[in-house]
Amino acid sequence: MKESLMDVICCPIDKSDLELTVDERDDEEIIAGTLTCTECGETYPIEDGIPNLLPPDMRDEATA
Amino acid sequence: MGAMNDRCDRRMTDDSKRRLADRRGQETRVYQPAEDSALLADVVVNVVESGDRVLEVGTGSGWVAEQLEHETKASVYASDINPFACTAARDRGVATIRANMLDPFARRSFDVVCFNPPYLPTDPDEEWDDWMEHALSGGPDGRRLVVPFLSDLRRVLAANGRGYLLISSFTGYDEVVSIAAEAGLQTDPVREESYPFETLFVLELTPIEMSTNDDL
Repeated sequence: MKESLMDVICCPIDKSDLELTVDERDDEEIIAGTLTCTECGETYPIEDGIPNLLPPDMRDEATA
Repeated sequence: MGAMNDRCDRRMTDDSKRRLADRRGQETRVYQPAEDSALLADVVVNVVESGDRVLEVGTGSGWVAEQLEHETKASVYASDINPFACTAARDRGVATIRANMLDPFARRSFDVVCFNPPYLPTDPDEEWDDWMEHALSGGPDGRRLVVPFLSDLRRVLAANGRGYLLISSFTGYDEVVSIAAEAGLQTDPVREESYPFETLFVLELTPIEMSTNDDL
């Protein structure tokens, strides 16, 4: 993901702003990192450049 | 575009299981572009303006979002709940977010939001619990994901933003219009195309002006 994505995303649970922590970057592309909700503190992983903004209870579940 | 022709085979009979099985022969994890994708892309490419922020919900293979990326000068984003779809869309060069519907998108973010939902009405007893089922099944009434999409759309639309929703005659046209109205959205059919067993529509969804309480 690119940093500009931060303008359009929020915490899926309480819609608060997210804070970006970058672990791995390739030029402008953020490959790995964490998005943390500034309100509830929930964390969302960025893996292979894709932020996973599913709430924790949906993250591992398959299709529903 | 391998799935383009077999959509015409679909009919409202009890052979949905066989139909889904046919689909599985081609692809088991990610919905591939079909004529509904082409119809939605064609409409949205022509309404998007330079500099717009555009979101495709439930992007599947990422094909529609890729067309928008190539054919317009908008900032294009795509989301899907399916991790395999997210990877497919990312590999097409689209900014991809793994998400449930519109849940993680900030208010007033997008000028255009489009969605080609799973819409085949499916008997609960015939549900296959896998990703392709999720991509095709609209639940018992075909509107499983249409309802949450419509109820949250206004929140993420920027001023003068619009939604574009693809539905089939299977989805229940009048029901969708009435659910949209309840969510404060005006519905205008901007494209219609008939196939042997269904008609596809692209609906333009515009927030209805409210004198008060417009601050959703």
